[in-house]
Amino acid sequence: MSDALVFMMGKFEARFPTDRQYAKNHMWAAESGGVTRFGFSAYAVRLLQDVYFLDWTLDPPAELAERQLIGAIESSKAESDLFAPIAGRLTGFNAKLLSDPSAINVDLYGDGWLFTMEGDGDGLLSPEEYMEHLKAAWKLAERTIKGQMNE
Amino acid sequence: MAKKITVVISQGQSQNPAKRKLEEDLVGALLMEAGVEVTLVPNLYDLAPDGTGMLCLEGISGDMVVVSWHFPRAAHWTLDRHGIRGRVGTTLLVSDDEDNEEDDEENVEEDSQDEADDKDRVIEQREVPARTIYCLDFRACDTAEPLVEEIRRIAAETATETVDLMSWIDGSPKPEQLDRYLNPNGGNGNGHTEKTPVATPAQPNIIDEKAERRWYPVIDFSRCTNCMECIDFCLFGVYGVDTSEVILVEQPDNCRKGCPACSRVCPENAILFPQHKTPAIAGSEEVAGPLKIDLSQLFGAPGKDAVEAAVSERDEQLMLAGREAVGESVGIAKRRTGAVDQPKDELDDLMDELDAIDL
Repeated sequence: MSDALVFMMGKFEARFPTDRQYAKNHMWAAESGGVTRFGFSAYAVRLLQDVYFLDWTLDPPAELAERQLIGAIESSKAESDLFAPIAGRLTGFNAKLLSDPSAINVDLYGDGWLFTMEGDGDGLLSPEEYMEHLKAAWKLAERTIKGQMNE
Repeated sequence: MAKKITVVISQGQSQNPAKRKLEEDLVGALLMEAGVEVTLVPNLYDLAPDGTGMLCLEGISGDMVVVSWHFPRAAHWTLDRHGIRGRVGTTLLVSDDEDNEEDDEENVEEDSQDEADDKDRVIEQREVPARTIYCLDFRACDTAEPLVEEIRRIAAETATETVDLMSWIDGSPKPEQLDRYLNPNGGNGNGHTEKTPVATPAQPNIIDEKAERRWYPVIDFSRCTNCMECIDFCLFGVYGVDTSEVILVEQPDNCRKGCPACSRVCPENAILFPQHKTPAIAGSEEVAGPLKIDLSQLFGAPGKDAVEAAVSERDEQLMLAGREAVGESVGIAKRRTGAVDQPKDELDDLMDELDAIDL
């Protein structure tokens, strides 16, 4: 893997490759073959842990507003709705994850990509900016997940 | 010879090990039951109309138990949509989200006939085959034992319904069905009929269909009055009518993924989306009144009643499809004007009180 920044989630080293950008809702964004792929950051995956089920509530292509509801996820630690990281055009989902979402855990920055979008990435953060975002958000998150991290 | 009952197990979409284990435990336990034949299919709702899963289910002629991760109503009417019909079997298991004592309401078919209201339900004009389909919800149980117990109870119940048995015998089963019936432990429809030792556990009939995720409405005809509000409201050509002018989900795959708007405008709560996360839309029995109320208003969400929610969901889908939003101008006038004429019920009073509070 390329160079990565590290954020300590308790004793867990969450790694964030510097070859891509990040969204505030804990997704990464990276160019791949002319499209921008999005996936969960190590921070999100650590909170989710094993992903069991992924469902999308719309079909691509679709014009999305930022933070529009796009799907839901079930994991060993959480059940959550999922929202668009940026405004733009959703062009495709990673179909393989529907029958077996385990790639999200196994290869989160590669085969575990979630969807592709076209759009204005101005709101995306650099890896360094994302670290700052995590530091600011961590105190609150830490309190809610304390029990889970200690397991 | 004891009559066999077919148990269809519909696998969930989730890889959650607890859910997978529950399915496996149930299959394992049922294979040891003498009067039971087990068929395993992918998620019932996702099965293609012409796929091997549905074809297999169509081939089951007698009483049937279906265990799925759906509410019983949703499973029953999903099967019905695919021509797999029968009377609604009464189960003693109650799904999550349905913890009220509602045994009396489990048999919707009888209920709607007994109801004091004079509305004609579509089911009253339909011929239903003389067999019973029992739909059980995995979510009602944490372990397989209560499901196995309930299936034993159902097997005993159906075995004593001799009228049903006679009608089955009077019918003309296909050779492979007869073969399966006579040779339940190994029959594969090829005329193989030698006796199998009783102690050998049976094999489940596994349907290996690659089921893609689907999204379409399912009509509960025990509630539907054929009022046509859904066909007026939906602008994507999902609904149609059959040769006797009865509403029908004609083009299920025209439906917009994630959109449950028609369910919200149905005055009888007859339209289900089995995969929707709101229990009332997914087919829970527990339904307050003609319109579903989203209580998130009380908890600070921007206020919308069911019709407003449906209209904005539809507009969203129209725009996603590159069409123009229509707002309230299409397909809902009947509802808004009609509602005024009806006497207020307790729910209306509650809503008036809520309106009076400045939220």
